[in-house]
Parts: sequence; structure tokens; C-alpha cells
Amino acid sequence: MLALILKRLLTAVPVLLVVATLTFFLMRMVPGGPFDADKNLPPAIVANLNAKYQLDKPVAEQYVIYLTRLAKGDLGISYKYVNRTVLDILSEAMPVSLQLGSAALLLAVIIGVPLGTLAAVKRGTWLDVAAMFLSTAGISVPGFVTGAFLIFIFGIWLKILPVALWESPAHMILPALTLAFSPAAYLARLTRASVLEILEKDWVRTARSKGLSHWSTVMKHTLRNALVPVVTVLGPLTAILITGSFVVEYLYAIPGMGRFFVTAVTNRDYDLIMGTTLIFAALLIVTNAIVDVAYQILDPRMKVEG
Amino acid sequence: MSQSRFLKAAATVVFTAATLISTTGCSSTVDGYEPDTFRINLQAEPPSLDWQTSTDSTSFDVVSNLMTGLTQYNNDMKCEPGCAEKWEVLDGGKHFVFHLRKNARWTDGKPVTAHDFEYAWKRLLNPATAASYAFFLYDIENAYEYNSGKIKDAELVGVKALDDWTFSVKLKRPAAYFLYLTAFCSTCPLRKDIIDKYGDRWTEPQNIVTNGPFKITLWKHEYKIELSANPHFFEGPPRLKKIKMFMIPEQATAFGLFENNQLDYIDNRSFPTADVERFRSSPLYRSLPLLRCSYIGFNVKKKPFDDKRVRQAFSMAIDRTLFPKILRRGERPAYTWIPPSLEGYSEESKSESDPQAARKLLAEAGYPEGKGFPLTKVLYPQREDAKLVVESVQEQIKKNLNVKLQLEVNEWKVYLDILHRDPPQMFRQTWGADYPDPETFMNVFTTRNGNNYTRWSNSEFDDLVDKASAEQNQKKRAAMYAKGDKLLCQDEVPIIPIYWATQNTMVKPWVKEIGFNAMDLQFFRKVYIEKPN
Repeated sequence: MLALILKRLLTAVPVLLVVATLTFFLMRMVPGGPFDADKNLPPAIVANLNAKYQLDKPVAEQYVIYLTRLAKGDLGISYKYVNRTVLDILSEAMPVSLQLGSAALLLAVIIGVPLGTLAAVKRGTWLDVAAMFLSTAGISVPGFVTGAFLIFIFGIWLKILPVALWESPAHMILPALTLAFSPAAYLARLTRASVLEILEKDWVRTARSKGLSHWSTVMKHTLRNALVPVVTVLGPLTAILITGSFVVEYLYAIPGMGRFFVTAVTNRDYDLIMGTTLIFAALLIVTNAIVDVAYQILDPRMKVEG
Repeated sequence: MSQSRFLKAAATVVFTAATLISTTGCSSTVDGYEPDTFRINLQAEPPSLDWQTSTDSTSFDVVSNLMTGLTQYNNDMKCEPGCAEKWEVLDGGKHFVFHLRKNARWTDGKPVTAHDFEYAWKRLLNPATAASYAFFLYDIENAYEYNSGKIKDAELVGVKALDDWTFSVKLKRPAAYFLYLTAFCSTCPLRKDIIDKYGDRWTEPQNIVTNGPFKITLWKHEYKIELSANPHFFEGPPRLKKIKMFMIPEQATAFGLFENNQLDYIDNRSFPTADVERFRSSPLYRSLPLLRCSYIGFNVKKKPFDDKRVRQAFSMAIDRTLFPKILRRGERPAYTWIPPSLEGYSEESKSESDPQAARKLLAEAGYPEGKGFPLTKVLYPQREDAKLVVESVQEQIKKNLNVKLQLEVNEWKVYLDILHRDPPQMFRQTWGADYPDPETFMNVFTTRNGNNYTRWSNSEFDDLVDKASAEQNQKKRAAMYAKGDKLLCQDEVPIIPIYWATQNTMVKPWVKEIGFNAMDLQFFRKVYIEKPN
């Protein structure tokens, strides 16, 4: 298992290099630059800005400068937020997204997996129909609609939860629910399909014929095997949730890093685009490695090739 | 676990969670009024609190309350004494001597001196600072030369601290608007010792020193800034003890917080259009016209807009009164480029709608009933208001001139890139005043100005703007600008001004003495909170 983890981490280096290279050149190909603004600046001032941020050098040279800095752990500086490094920005925003994303992930799992299991076990009953109706709604309704609905009901109408902001644990409830709604729905559908498949297996029939109770069969013999596809999606889902959501952070005024995935691009904040992309890629690699390890724990027959 | 026990346990968990949620929520939501504290929404993170590298209104909203320049604006947009208690204008308007008050203090108690201004202005012009607003000082002797690297010696720039309390500024030529620049955030003083000590980190709350009515006490990036009263402020500490400036990007969320008494003041940034209409008659609602104009520009180097009769016809074919009805935020139709509140505005410069005359002009230009009119593209940025405006223009031009316009939308930076490189035949753009003087508007369409995307070049107009900017006699100056405005809006028509923006606000009844101004600058030094009855 240790060899597997090491191998995964070693392959991460070339993957990150490819991601960095592609992102660097793609963002330079997009028209517009970081200092294009509503009011056009005199050429002397544009020249000063380009010189300060080394944008007056050829793109290939800028790429080499960037990689050299990156190798030293320097993610660069923001062109938009003057005097703030990318590391400053992300290290302040990431813990917030991590907190919110973890809460949402936990909610998604504790809502989605039992709901899917219940729907599968009670297949064809009103419970199944209700669970699948909820999960279809969760997948189809966009986050900003769910969020606005929750704000209206709990924040403005009932006044039992904060409308927005990030001041106390109570402020986390509505955004975490909003963020969890869609993944919970997806997990519920996935779990249902997987549990239904496992329920048809011979060993489940054997367990039942041995006189095990219905719920014991489900909990001990079905669910563990049914969780393999769920764990597969949990890898990328974790990376997505803990790096923040633009919509949820925007709606609830949460100072997380989700917004930077969008605003860095609209601002042409080159180093910040690179920073967010690389961090997301690195997290994806790490969570996928964890998923591979989890496979072996859930089902020792599964041997993942490094 | 049996099914019934499982469901019972689940129900208990849900009920407990709901109870916890409702109790924790109650304690932190309905805050109501907060004594001596003013809560507003900035909408976004200020990109910089270094007032020399800031370029955006969000940063200026914060800095305006932290800093005071040589002069300061009142809410009528007139310059009042700031750090300078008086000034002399010598040499026909080419030499300003500012006499600083001796009781102006930084937040660490040190006096604000003329040396702080000399250092600040030279830093603003230093190419290494790469300050976008360095061009504000280009009227000063050798300022452009130093900023563009043509000369290296900052001592040659025409600014000098004659002693601790006297600051001298020598201009290349008289500039009637120059005093306004001394109230602008970019020209506020700076402390060399602080910047030397903290480098790039000097704007962080624990390092920064300021000289205005408030000082910064907390900056939680992307979330909140807190200011507290500066006990050293030369006018005496303000009555507000604290200002909380949140960064809530979504209008509807901010509006919800205002409704829940968690914000005391909202403006356009937090006011959804539907709610502007709903609350227009509320006693909490106030609106005021801004010095920001939206216009349709023509690239006069591209056919068929190289013919001024075509441009005039388009201008006459557009009914400006429709835009406020479409946009629904209290906009005012614009018939001139100089706004009615500034000198130089003249009824005679107005360009009004006359579809019949428009059709006649178009026919004279060779396009009777719009026949043979080339395919015309209208560029606009990806914004809802811009979309509504160009769609209306498209419809009116089709209806009145039988000319079909093709709309082209682009993401903001791509749109700007196209405007900078190769402006299309028509585009929608806006301009906001940098200072409350007609010069800030008229200069845009001079030949040398980088914001003149119309490529229109008119020596008579350039000459008028140049002379007016140096003219010390206000009456003569206003007449020159009025003549220039007529050239722009009636005679040559490189642009069609369409509407003036309006600031829509709501203020809680316990907020007193809040001022509004057409430059949309937020000054809170006189605001106070009175306990509601």
C-alpha cells in the first residue's frame, strides 16, 4: 500500500507540470490582459506596469521564470490584489472552503448514502419514489436556486438562521446544506443503483437463507460492497467541495477560494489562475490516491495497479 | 437494529439538530441597530489600500475615509481645506503654494508635513511604483518625463517641501481643474518611514498609518474591513465609533441583510432592480444622479460612419427617454456629453430625437430608407444593462431608419481588448468622472486620449479643450466647453450620449447626516447613529 501511495505521488509531478504548462499558455492565448480596464491608461503607465510584473518579457521567458519560481514553492503574485501573493490569498481562503466543503461532504454522505440504501431496500414503495424525487430535484435544481430558497425560508421568513456572512457556526448551516444538496442527491442515486445490484448477488441470497434479518443483510453484506462506486466518486467530489463553490460563496458572502476559480480568469490574474488550477489538480491527485487505498480496504480482492 | 428503532433514532437526531439550529441561529440573526456602528456593503475586496496603486471605486470608498489630502471634497463636490488650511495660486495659475495646518496628525500621533506630500507625489510618479493614476500629475513640471523614464532624477519634478508646513507645486501650464486633483485619494500624503520599514506589507492594519477621520482596525480579506474613529483627526474624532464594511457580492443577499437590519445602508451594489422599483416610494429610499454617462460610440474611420450625416441620423433616430424605462434604476436621458450639473452644460448642445430628420439625413448620405446600408456591428460587454441598451438601439434604428444592426457580445476583458486594438463600427461604453469638472469628460475625445475609441480627431475640439483647461476665467471656460460639447453631440457626433447613471440608496432611519455626492464617493466623517424611538 505504501508503494502504491509513493508511486501515485511520483506520477503527480509530471501531471502537475503538464497542467501548469497547458494552463500557462492557454491563459496567455485568451484576449485581454490584467491591466485592461474601463479607462485606458497612457502608454507610459502601461509600460511601467508591464515592467513591474515582468509582462514585458517574451511569453516563453515568462514561462521559464514562472516554473523557476514554482520549483522554489513561490506561486507568484496577484496582479489584481496589489502586494498580495497567491500564497497569501489561497492560504487565507482555503481553510474557509475546507471547513465548508468538509461539512457539505459529511452532510452529502450522511444524507445521500442512507437515502439511496433506503430507496433500494424499499424499491417500488412510496419511500423509493419520494427519495428518488428528492434526488432528481437535487441534481436538477441549480445551487443558486436552492440557496436563495433556503435563505428566503430560514433567513428572511422564519428568521431562525443567518441570511449570509461567516461569523459563527450557525452561519455555516445554510451554505453547507446548499452545497451538499446536489452531491447528496447524486450519491443517493448511485447508492440505490449499487445496492440494488448487490441485492441480486448469490451471497446475499445465501445470507438471507441462513436466517439473517433483512437489515442485517443490508448493513453487513450489501452496503460494504455497494460502496465501491460511491467511494470512486468521493475522490473528485472531495476535491471539488473542499476547494469551494463559486455560487455558494457568492450567494452567502463566504470568503472561500471558490470565487477565485472564476474571478481570477475574468481579471486575467495570471498567477492566481495558475495557483488555483495547480492546487485543484494536486488535490485531485491526492484524493484519487486515497480512493485507490480505500478500494483495497473495502474489497481486498481489488488490487490497484500503480 | 429493527426498522422502527432505526427510524426512531433518525428522528431523534433530526429533531435535536433542528433544535440546535434554531437556537444557535436566533442569537446571531436579528441584530437590529448597533450603537455607534455603521454597517455597509462594499460588495468586493478592495484590490489595494495603497492609495497610489488603487484604481477602483471599492478601494477609494475605504481610502476616502482613511485619508485626507491637501484639500477634501464636501458633498457639493467643492474643494475645502484638508491638510492644507489655505493655498495661493501664483504665476497665472502655474504655481500652487499650499500652507499645511499644524494640527494634522497621522494615526500614530506624528504631524503630517509637506515632506510627506513631496515623498508621496514623487513615489506616485516613480516608474517602479507603476501607479495607474500617475497621469493625474502629468500637468506638473517634468512629471511625465520622470514617470515615462525620460529623466531619472526625481528632484527635477516640480514639487517641493519648502519647509515642514509649505508645499510648492509648479505646473507646466495652468490647469483650472488642478485643485480637484489634490482632493483625490491618489495624491494623499505617505509616510516614507512606514513604507521603508514594512515594504509591500505596509497597508496591512497592523502596519498602516493614516491621517483621515478613521483608522483601519481589521481587514479580513474577501470578507470584511473594520474602521474605528481616529482620535488624532484634525477636525476632531468622528461620532461613529466603528464602520463595518462587508464584501457581499450578491445584490439579493445584501438586500436581505438590509431587510434583516444587519446592514444600515445600501446602494446600487446591493440593490436589485426589482427592489428599486418596489421601494421607490419608501421613506428610506434616496437617489441621486451620478457623473457617469453611457454612450454609443462610432468608429469614424470605418464606413459608413466616416460620414457625419450617418452619425447624425443615428443620433436623431434614438429616443433617449426609453432607456430609463428599460433599465428601471432611475437613469436620466443624456442629450449632451457634459452633465447638467457641471459648468459648460448648455441646452444648445442638446441632440434630440427627430426620426423624420434622421431619415432625411440618411437619404442624403446615400441610404434612402436604409437601402444599401452596410452590415453594422455593435459591440457590447456581457452585462445585463448593456444588453438591454443595445437591443433597444437595434430596435429603434430598425424602426426609424430601416437599418439592421448586428449585436456582438463579449466577455469584459475581451471586449476591452477589441476596443483597444480595433474598435468596430459601433460600441456601447461608459465614462465616469475622475473629478467634478467638465475637463474629465471633454478630454476623453481629444485626439491624444487613449480612451477615444472613436478615432475621431478634430483640431478645433482639441484646441477648445486645451484652452478651456488652462482658462482661469470661469465664464470664458464654460463657453469654450459648451462649444466643444455642441461639436461632439450635434455637429460631428462621434458619440451618442444616452443616459446618466443614478445612485439608488436605502438608509436605515437611525443613520444621520449621511451625505451623497455625484462622484459616488462615500464620506462618513459626519455620520452618526441615533437610537431609534
